[in-house]
Amino acid sequence: MTERYKSRMELLQGTLDLLVLQTLMWGPSHGYGIAQAIRANSGEMLRVDAGSLYPALQRLQKQKWISAEWKVSENKQDVKVYKLTAAGRRQLTEERSRWEQITDAIAGVLNPAAKKEG
Amino acid sequence: MKLWRKRDAEMEKEIQHHLRMAEQDRVERGMSQRDAGAEARREFGNVKMVRELARDVWGWRWLEDFVDDLCYGARVLRKNVAFTLAAVLAIALGVGINVGIFSVLNGATLRLLPIPQADQVLSVNQIFHGHSPRNVHNEEGFFSYSEYLDYRDHNHVFSGLLAYEPFVDATLGGANKRQVIGTLVTCNYFEVLNAHPAQGRGFLNSECAAPGQGAVAVISDELWRNSFGSDPSLIGKTIVLNRGSYRVIGVARPEFTGTEPLASAFWIPVTMQKSLEGDRERLADDNMSWLALLGRVRPGISNEQVRADLSVIAGRIDQLHPGRTTLFSIEKATFFGKPEERRFLIPAASVILVAFGLVLLIACANVSSLLLARASARHKEIALRQSMGATRWRLVRQLLTESVLLSLLGGALGTLLAFWSFAGIVHFATNHLPKPLSDLALNIAPDFRVLAYALLVTLVTGVVFGLIPALQASRPDLNAALKGDGASPGANKKRGQLLRGTLVGAQIAVCMVLLLAAGLLLRALLYAQRVDPGFDVTNVAQAFLNLRAQGYNEAQSETFVQQLRERVAALPRVSEVALAECAPLSDDHSGDSFSIPERPGEIAMEYNHVSPEFFSLVGIPIVRGRALGPTDWRDGSAIIVTESTAHRLWPGEDALGRVIREAHGQQRTVIGIAKDAQISHLGETNTLYIFYPAGPRDGARSYLLVRFAGNFIDTAKGFQGVVQSLAPDVAVDMIRVEDNLEVWREPSRVVAALSGSLGALALLLASVGVYGMVSYSVSRSVREIGIRMALGADSGQVLRMVLRRAMRPVLIGALVGIAGCAAVSWILTKMLYGLSARDPLAFIAVSVFLLAVSLLSSYLPARRAVRVDPVIALRYE
Repeated sequence: MTERYKSRMELLQGTLDLLVLQTLMWGPSHGYGIAQAIRANSGEMLRVDAGSLYPALQRLQKQKWISAEWKVSENKQDVKVYKLTAAGRRQLTEERSRWEQITDAIAGVLNPAAKKEG
Repeated sequence: MKLWRKRDAEMEKEIQHHLRMAEQDRVERGMSQRDAGAEARREFGNVKMVRELARDVWGWRWLEDFVDDLCYGARVLRKNVAFTLAAVLAIALGVGINVGIFSVLNGATLRLLPIPQADQVLSVNQIFHGHSPRNVHNEEGFFSYSEYLDYRDHNHVFSGLLAYEPFVDATLGGANKRQVIGTLVTCNYFEVLNAHPAQGRGFLNSECAAPGQGAVAVISDELWRNSFGSDPSLIGKTIVLNRGSYRVIGVARPEFTGTEPLASAFWIPVTMQKSLEGDRERLADDNMSWLALLGRVRPGISNEQVRADLSVIAGRIDQLHPGRTTLFSIEKATFFGKPEERRFLIPAASVILVAFGLVLLIACANVSSLLLARASARHKEIALRQSMGATRWRLVRQLLTESVLLSLLGGALGTLLAFWSFAGIVHFATNHLPKPLSDLALNIAPDFRVLAYALLVTLVTGVVFGLIPALQASRPDLNAALKGDGASPGANKKRGQLLRGTLVGAQIAVCMVLLLAAGLLLRALLYAQRVDPGFDVTNVAQAFLNLRAQGYNEAQSETFVQQLRERVAALPRVSEVALAECAPLSDDHSGDSFSIPERPGEIAMEYNHVSPEFFSLVGIPIVRGRALGPTDWRDGSAIIVTESTAHRLWPGEDALGRVIREAHGQQRTVIGIAKDAQISHLGETNTLYIFYPAGPRDGARSYLLVRFAGNFIDTAKGFQGVVQSLAPDVAVDMIRVEDNLEVWREPSRVVAALSGSLGALALLLASVGVYGMVSYSVSRSVREIGIRMALGADSGQVLRMVLRRAMRPVLIGALVGIAGCAAVSWILTKMLYGLSARDPLAFIAVSVFLLAVSLLSSYLPARRAVRVDPVIALRYE
């Protein structure tokens, strides 16, 4: 069972980190909120499961790209809220540009004619 | 740990929050409360798994696993009390004796002097290269007084440098006459060591100003208590040492026994050397090694800097001795810090540690077999874990945690036992050593080195005995194991048998080595008891006269010895009196190098100065030539040699009239040949040996030999009466020469007792090991035995089969042990008095004994195999 989670995690790791950082760019949020935001913004395409999300959140905290603190929500519940740090912001810019390079590259491979014409 | 637990709780809270939010969303979208909760959980997945994955990110997994393993291990050990108890006891024995012996060796070789900041104090010894004559008193690496002053005044590395002459014999005069050992020291001794006396003061520099000055003494706490009844007003009073008066200025602290392993009873300024020792003036001899040096280094100075700085001064001194280069050995000061002592101690200590380590090895092998046997019983549990996805490494780690837990329990118990019992054992052992050694001031109290050693031994033990069973048990073989066929897995079973066989064989081999050593030494002891030394020592008494050390000059001692001889010879029942420089077998030898005109080269020979009566008194016949006459000492040329000396120096020729040349040129002529006798070394008749005639002057340091009839006590009393009336201030003891034999037997008795008890322990452990292996393998092959019996094998055949299987590893182990012991038994040669190190009787007797014990310990469980009922056996499992 561990294996199943691990392989999925590896597949998503780089991208998931990027998605989480980008989501937090719009403001602090809790774990469930991040998952919902990614889901909504991808038009219900990307469903992040908890087994990937929570390890990712821990990993990003360990890298000091995000920070966490406990807050009390409107309905008086303890909520752990994540926030982007300055280092996280820099990391996001870097990852974004790398992601764009990769998508451009893949697009170039998939559609060579378009590039030649362009 | 705390941080990690907090993180765990937070994760749990976060997940609960996630689930509530997801549920709420669904309810808002119109789902029923129950469906919403279920779906939220379904979407989330395995909560526990998510939590663990998130936690793994922080890398605490191993710690958590470790704690899990520890708890699990503790539970397993608690469940099998009998197994745990057996294993813990075996390990406790093995670790305990190792820690004990290490604490003794630590006290002897590693422990620093009992003074503040002892790690700053260095012991400095000289190593001379090149040929240059030097006078030596005690050790060659020592310094002369002028050299000491040179180093003290011109070095830049020590904050203080002191010198002392160890082991100075003295007679405490007065009401309670007593022989003591003391130290001559430079006046900065207590200051540099930072060991200020508990009462009174240390020495002043003015007390060391000139030879003959400073008749003052600091005495030991022990002397103060036992010889002066803890007299609180002793300071300022006068005590008598070697007929000289010394004013007591201080009493040392109880824990300070000096800087040598033999406790010092007093300390006196080195400037008193001549008056205390009645010897020649050593202070003025610039080329004599007699003072040991200790220096307290300045902070931040390395040994190399010390060496470099001292070498500058040494270079200057070497210029006075062409052809000589002086190097230094610089070590942290310990009780056995001198190069000579270390050269002897380190190999001896290694042999001892290895012997004790071997017993620990047997204990390990034993626990290993226990674990192996138990691992088969846990086969199903392990297979289940493997099928649930545990990796092999994970299983090995779990099993190793268990065995380390076991070894920690055993190690802790053993260490406590060692600390508790070894002080008593050592006290008992040193009390049984011959006289000067019984004053050994060994501090064997545990320190951090002993604790570190205990921990290391324990951990290594845990891994050593745990690793093989763990690897064996975690070998993946799911199919067979899960099928529940307890007795089946073929290959695995063979391998297990081989492993258990190897472990038993190793135990037997080690046990054999230890028992053989004990056997050889016991044989040698019996041999020494019956050995004929070649002369008659019954009814001969000896008294050691050390008049020079007791403050007598030559003229005084000459008269005293002359009167003593006459008066003792006149005692009733005394038939003969003689003088000898070295008493027979007294472990007091003189030796030098000689040469003969017929051959080039130097010959090392032992010699003795004896009075003419010596030969008839101890019954050594002169076989050729003439005996010594009463005037032979005067012209100083006549000597007597032993038969084998004559034979070895002039093979096939007549030795009478031949000439032997001494190192400084004087020539001696052989006038007689004495029958061989083991006069100086028990078991050695062929030592090269010369008898010189003793003159009156040789009496100042010699043995008075007395042949008596009847009761020794009466003779000894009569002797003491004579001494008392002649010179009340002389302390002399009389003992029987026979007792000298005891000194020779003592070391082998100690070693035999040691290796004997180690061997007995090893035997006990090994026979438990054999017993365990056989009963285990019988219980595993019940079905096979049942089939054999069903097919018509009778009980005798079954018994023979089981025994054959059991004895194979035992026999192999025994052969390995015999071969191993034969290869190393030469180490014992010195203690065997001429007995061969491969004495067949010892080898055969011990082998038969060990095999008989192993046969017995395999027979007991093997009998059970015979009682197997085929019908029940075939239904078994």
